Amino acid sequence: MIPITPQILFFLETMLFASVVFMHIAKKNSGVIFLYAAQSLIIAIALFYSSLKEASLLLVVAAVATFLVKVIIVPYFFSGLIKKHRLQFSVSTYLNTPMTLIVLALLTAFSYSHFFGPLTILAPDKENALSLAIAMVLISIFLIINRKGALSQMVGILSLENAIVSFAYVAGLETTAGLQVGILFDIFIWVVIASVFASMIYRHFGSLNVSVLKHLKEE
Amino acid sequence: MALFLIIIIPLIASVASFFVKKDMRVLSFIAVSASFLELTATLVTVASVMDSGLYRLNGYFFVDALGAVIIMLVAVVGAMASWYSTGYLKLEVAKRIIGFSRVRQYFILLHLFLLAMFFAVMSTSPILTWIAIEATTLSTAFLISFYNKPSAIEAAWKYLMINSVGLLLGFFGTFLFLYPSIHAGFPGLISWHDMLSHASALDPFIARMAFIFILIGYGTKVGLVPMHTWLPDAHSKAPAPISSLLSGVLLNVAFLALLRFKSVVDVAIGPYFSRELLVFFGVISISVAAFIIFSQKSYKRLLAYSSIEHMGIVALGFGFGGAGAFAALLHMIYHALTKSVLFLSAGNILVKYGSTKIRNVKGVLTVLPVTGILFFIGFLAITGVPPFGTFVTEFSILSAGIKTHPTTVIITLSVLALVFVGFLRHVVSITFGNSDIPMAKGESGLDTIVPIMLLAALLIIVSFFIPASMRSLLHSATINY
Repeated sequence: MIPITPQILFFLETMLFASVVFMHIAKKNSGVIFLYAAQSLIIAIALFYSSLKEASLLLVVAAVATFLVKVIIVPYFFSGLIKKHRLQFSVSTYLNTPMTLIVLALLTAFSYSHFFGPLTILAPDKENALSLAIAMVLISIFLIINRKGALSQMVGILSLENAIVSFAYVAGLETTAGLQVGILFDIFIWVVIASVFASMIYRHFGSLNVSVLKHLKEE
Repeated sequence: MALFLIIIIPLIASVASFFVKKDMRVLSFIAVSASFLELTATLVTVASVMDSGLYRLNGYFFVDALGAVIIMLVAVVGAMASWYSTGYLKLEVAKRIIGFSRVRQYFILLHLFLLAMFFAVMSTSPILTWIAIEATTLSTAFLISFYNKPSAIEAAWKYLMINSVGLLLGFFGTFLFLYPSIHAGFPGLISWHDMLSHASALDPFIARMAFIFILIGYGTKVGLVPMHTWLPDAHSKAPAPISSLLSGVLLNVAFLALLRFKSVVDVAIGPYFSRELLVFFGVISISVAAFIIFSQKSYKRLLAYSSIEHMGIVALGFGFGGAGAFAALLHMIYHALTKSVLFLSAGNILVKYGSTKIRNVKGVLTVLPVTGILFFIGFLAITGVPPFGTFVTEFSILSAGIKTHPTTVIITLSVLALVFVGFLRHVVSITFGNSDIPMAKGESGLDTIVPIMLLAALLIIVSFFIPASMRSLLHSATINY
C-alpha cells in the first residue's frame, strides 16, 4: 500500500480546509451542502484507507458507514429541506465577504501561532496538517456564528465535527470502530432532529433566517 | 443485574409507550412503574457501592461512589417527575392544551432522556459518556419545544445549537485526553480508569488545553456563565417535570463528566489549574445569575437562573477542594431536590394561573394552599436559609475557600445576599396577597401534589440527618477532589 506521508496528509487537510473556506463564500445552499459532502468524502476515504492498512473488517464497516451517513444520507436530507422550502440561496451573513475573509485569515494565523503551537507535539512530523485542522475547527465555529441561515449553521456544526475527526486522524487518535459507528449514529439522529426543527422554524417564522427568532427577547 | 435493569427498563418503557393506543392510563402506568423499578434497581446498586466501593457490569458499565450519588439523584427525581407528569399531562389534556399523541411523544422521550442520563453516568468510556450526554440533548429538544409555540421552538433551536457546539468542543478535549492511552497502544475501548492510569504521561500543555475544551464543552451543558445563554430559555419553556429534570439532574450529570476529567488533569499537572478555573467560572456564574434573579419577570426563568447560580456554587466548592468538594457534592443533592420541588410547584401554579409572569401571579397560598407552602419551603431552601441543608453546604464551601480565596468568598457572600433579596421580593409577591382575578381555590389532584411533598420531605430529612453510610459514600466520592 502507498504510505500516507505527511505531505499527503497536508494535501488532504488543505482540501478539507479549503472546503470550509468555500462554505463561507458560497451563496447557494446547494453549494454549501456539496462542499460538506466533498469534505466528508475525503474523511471517509482516509478512514477507509486506515481500515485497509489495519486489515480490520470492523474499521471497514465504520468507514462505509461514514460514507453512507455523511456523503449520502445527510446531503440527501438537506437537499430535501432545500426543495421543500425552496431555499435556493443562503441567507446573509453578519459580516460582509471581505470582512469574513479577513477574519478567516486571522483565525488561520491564530491556529499557527504559539498559542496552539505546542499541540503539534501530538504528531511533530505532521505539524502543518495539525495546524490546518485546528484552523478548520476555528473556521467551522465562525461559520456557525457568522451565518444567519439555520441550514448553514447546521452544516457548520457538522463541519466542526469533521474538523475534529480530521484532527484526530492526523494526530493518530482514532477510536475503535464501535465508537465511530456510535458517534455516526449520534450525528445521524442529530441531523434528523435539526432538520425537523428547521422545518418547524420555517413553518412558524416563514424563513430559515435565525435573525427572525426574536420571541424570547420580546417576552 | 441491577445495572442491567437500570439501562433496560427505560428502554423497554419507551418502546412500550410507543405502542400504546389512545389510553393515557396505560402510558401513566408504564411511566410510574418503570421509574419506580429504576429507583429500586438504583437503590440496590447504591447499597452495593456502599458495601464494596465499586459495582461493574462487564467492561462497559460501572458505578463508583460519585456515580452512585448522581444515579441516585437521577432515579429519585426521575421517579417523582414521572409520577407528577401523569397528573400534570392529564390536566393539560383536560384543558385541551395537548392531545393524546403529544402525551405519548412526551413519555417516549422522557424514558429515553432518563436512559441517556443513566448511561452517561454509568459508562466506563469517556466517548460513550459523550455520546450519551449528546443523546440527552437530542431527547430533550422536542420536550423543550413541546407546546409548539414560536418561543418554545426558538428556545429548543438555541438549546440544540449551543449545546451541540459546546459538546463538540468537549469531544475535541476528550480526544486530547485520550492521546497517552492511544499512544501506549491501548487496545479496544479506553475507559475512565485507563485514562487516569495514563494521566501522568499527558503533556502539561495538552492537559491544560484539553481541560479548557472540556470545561467549555461540558460547562455549556452545566450552564456555567458565559456558556449559559441557552439554559434560562430551555428550562423555562419545557413542561414543568422536564424543567425539574433538566435543572435538578441533567446539570449534575454533565458536572460529573467534568469532574471525571478534572481528576485526570489533576494527576497530570496537579490540582491548581483546574481548581482556579472552576473558582473563576463559579464566581462569575453566581454573580451574573444573582443580578438577573433580582430583576427577573418570569418565575420559571427565575428558577432557571437560580440553577446557574447553584452550579456556580458547586463549581466554587470543587474549586476550593477538600471540605469544599464534600460540601459541593452535598449541595448538588440539596439543589436537585429543592429545584425539583420548585419547578414542580411552578407547574401547578402555571396550570392554575395560565401565566409565567410574576406580576400575573398573586396569592398562591390562598388559591393553591399546599403548592404555596411547598413553593415557599423551596424558596427558603434554595436561598440557603437555615435550617435547610443548603445553608450548611454554602457555609462550608465558603469556609473552605476563606483562607485561599478571601476576595472570592466576600464577593460570593455579597451576591448571595442579593439572590436572597431578589428571591424574597418575587416569592412574597407570588405567594402572599390576593389574586387579581377570581379563581377557584384548591389543588388539582393528588398526582400533582404527592410527588412534590415526598421530595420536600426528603429534602427536610437529609437537611437534618445524613446516615453514616451516605456520609461515607460522599466522602469516598470526593476524596480525590
